[in-house]
Amino acid sequence: MKKIKQKILESKYVYVVLSLLFMMIISSLLSPSFLTLSNLITILRQASILLMLSLGLTAVVITGNIDLSVGSCAALTGCICAKMLVADVPVIAAMLISISIGLIIGVVNGFLVGVIKLPSFVATYGMNMVASGLAMIVMNGGVIYGLPAKFTTIGIGYVGSVPIPIIISGVMCLIVYILLQKTTFGRNVYMIGFNIQAAGYSAINCLGTLLAAYAFCGVTGALGGTMMTARLNAADAGMSETYGLQIVAAVVMGGTSLLGGEGGVVGTVIGAIILTIIVNIMNIVGVNSNWQNFAVGIVIILMVWIDIYTRSRRAKKLI
Amino acid sequence: MEPILKVKNLTKEFPGVKALDNVQFDLFPGEVHILVGENGAGKSTLSKCILGAYQPESGEIYLEDKKVDFKTPKEALANGIAAVYQELTMIPYLNAAQNIFFNREPVYKGTNIINQKLMQTQAKELLRNLNCENIDTTKPVKYLGVAEQQMIEIAKAISIDPKIIIFDEPTATLSDREVESFFEQIHLLKKRNIGIIYVSHRMKEFHHIGDRITVLRDGKYIKTLREGELSDEELVNLMVGRDIAQVYVRTPNDHSGEALRVENISDRAGKVEDCSLVVNKGEIVGLAGLVGAGRTEMARLIFGIDKLKGGKIYLHGKEVSGKGPSFLVNEGLGFLPEDRKQLGLAVRAPISWNIAAVSLKKIFPHFFVSQSKNDEIADEYVKSLKIATPSVKKMARALSGGNQQKVVIAKWLSANTDVIIFDEPTRGIDVGAKMEIYALMDRLASEGKAILMISSEMQEIIGMSDRMYIMNNGSIAGHIEREEFAAEKIGQMMLLGS
Ligand SMILES: Nc1ncnc2c1ncn2[C@@H]1O[C@H](COP(=O)(O)OP(=O)(O)OP(=O)(O)O)[C@@H](O)[C@H]1O
Ligand SMILES: [Mg+2]
Repeated sequence: MKKIKQKILESKYVYVVLSLLFMMIISSLLSPSFLTLSNLITILRQASILLMLSLGLTAVVITGNIDLSVGSCAALTGCICAKMLVADVPVIAAMLISISIGLIIGVVNGFLVGVIKLPSFVATYGMNMVASGLAMIVMNGGVIYGLPAKFTTIGIGYVGSVPIPIIISGVMCLIVYILLQKTTFGRNVYMIGFNIQAAGYSAINCLGTLLAAYAFCGVTGALGGTMMTARLNAADAGMSETYGLQIVAAVVMGGTSLLGGEGGVVGTVIGAIILTIIVNIMNIVGVNSNWQNFAVGIVIILMVWIDIYTRSRRAKKLI
Repeated sequence: MEPILKVKNLTKEFPGVKALDNVQFDLFPGEVHILVGENGAGKSTLSKCILGAYQPESGEIYLEDKKVDFKTPKEALANGIAAVYQELTMIPYLNAAQNIFFNREPVYKGTNIINQKLMQTQAKELLRNLNCENIDTTKPVKYLGVAEQQMIEIAKAISIDPKIIIFDEPTATLSDREVESFFEQIHLLKKRNIGIIYVSHRMKEFHHIGDRITVLRDGKYIKTLREGELSDEELVNLMVGRDIAQVYVRTPNDHSGEALRVENISDRAGKVEDCSLVVNKGEIVGLAGLVGAGRTEMARLIFGIDKLKGGKIYLHGKEVSGKGPSFLVNEGLGFLPEDRKQLGLAVRAPISWNIAAVSLKKIFPHFFVSQSKNDEIADEYVKSLKIATPSVKKMARALSGGNQQKVVIAKWLSANTDVIIFDEPTRGIDVGAKMEIYALMDRLASEGKAILMISSEMQEIIGMSDRMYIMNNGSIAGHIEREEFAAEKIGQMMLLGS
């Protein structure tokens, strides 16, 4: 019993989970309609796209790097997907092509960081501009509506009473969890984040691992982009703007350190849900949208602060 | 005379270990008081408590009869206690002068502008006193070798003009010549009535500079004695708590077949020029040389970390020139780097992860990893190498320096490659563990593995090698068979070339 208690207290996610609970309690006090099944499902559905976008980024951040291009990668792939769909390209083909574009963006990012050795912050910020620029060129200021129903199901459909986007993101979470925690690839991702020099001297294929992490990040970005398009049943070049740096925030709030080597998918899931809850409750209570960004910002800062504070305490325990 | 430092009943615990248990210690002005003990005995911990880097659970520390309770090393420094840590602590992107005068840079009068010129002159002066006038004080220290960095650390401690200096294994990275000039400085410091706490595993140093010796074992105070009171063997037995024989054991075996052949290799930085060597199966081949002679650079070149400018490398007769570490490890080449903290370990990762870092794909060929199997394998190495830790789940950072080195060794043992380059394998390792590592290398050789050993310890390289190459200034200056080993001859080649 005591052991279990200690294990829970030492677990890296305690404080993240506690913050989530805290947030839920506050929210249910603020509004009785928060803690209803339908609202909870709405939250999960809203969170599922943010979560998908943050999944690959989690792997990249664990390697000690960053990818700031996820948002515009999602917009670009979503727009291209929509363009193809209205040109009667089969749904599966359109999606596969979009995902391949995401993959290419990821590989280029990985190449810039791993081979040319640009700082990931700068390289992926540049890629962010390139991708959003491409999206604008492709759309030329236009908006595409009215996508085939077969496609929009992945955004608005249900299996029983569970929205499909939740299922897709849930399955991807599981896959990423297993990849990162239970495979040699995942282990190498962490080892690179801990100390890339030592990883190189340990004959770990650093470049390959880094490329794979970035490529994966591009793929989840594209998946998120197509889901977003399906959900909106429309696409325009600026559609991922609301996500922007929230994607990075979800990862970091969940306890994945920008230093590398620490954190994981579980934290990102909770981070994405917390971010979604804040917006959700503010909408329910009717907070002026001008104040919403302000509040989200404060919560992000608080969460990262708590994480860093508890991490240093936990580190003292573990060593 | 009154001691300037007194430590009474000091106890310091870490989760799962009592690093210090009721330890006492004192230090007189102008004295060199040596701290000895096995890896993990608590020497570094005691130094860090005195320095204020750790807060002890109980016990008192008196500085010149005044009870002190330093919360940070900065506070200790302000009270005249300086230290050279076991692990280098310099800022890699700053040059030697900037590191030495960090946070107390000389400024132009009446301004806050750093007087770079004066800082450089003073740094050069300090280093000249240590016979290190050839260290470039304008280059970021990360481009300097470990030994050079160590000398800069020493210069920094001396420049503060403290009452007490703590040296934690200062010579572990130095070659004999540098050690000599360092000892000259110690004698000067003694004359200035500075008290010196000196942690080291090298017994022959004790006779040169030691006044008294305090022995720690498993965090407990064992005894304080005058230098020379006991023979080396008796002292070792006191440290270890059992009898051990201090000899280099080599089992004769036949050296059949070439394992590693290096032909005329050069690197792009000009640190290695036209070097050739051969290591046969079952052989331990030494690579001797002064620090900076290019031995580590040569090893990095062979292991594919740096790019070849010319020359060829063969492993078991197959050409592998230009290949990277992943490829070479698959072909059976291993390399144990000298800088364990930067290159050998991921210090924030668990011990078990570090041990499995190279062999991960071999242990788990089917892509999926089992943490419990990983822990089991790590546990075996912890047992067989006697790594002092309560659990393999702990971060490598929590280990004492010597035990960290053993983890690096475990990592390469588990990779089970048949050619291994050891770069300073016993650095920072206590006598008992050293003997175990020598025995281990001997066993590997008799199993038919080929070993190339870089070492700056003359005795060790003479004792362990079957043959020896000597490097001087980037080239192989000589090659000697075991029958012709003689310290003077080797030393001369190291210094002058052939
Ligand atoms: N920061 C830490 N956290 C947890 N345990 C520690 C920490 N530092 C040291 N220890 C433990 O305390 C004990 C004493 O360590 P210490 O570093 O003082 O040994 P040492 O005598 O300096 O050994 P070495 O010769 O290997 O440097 C070891 O068992 C070590 O694992
Ligand atoms: Mg130590």
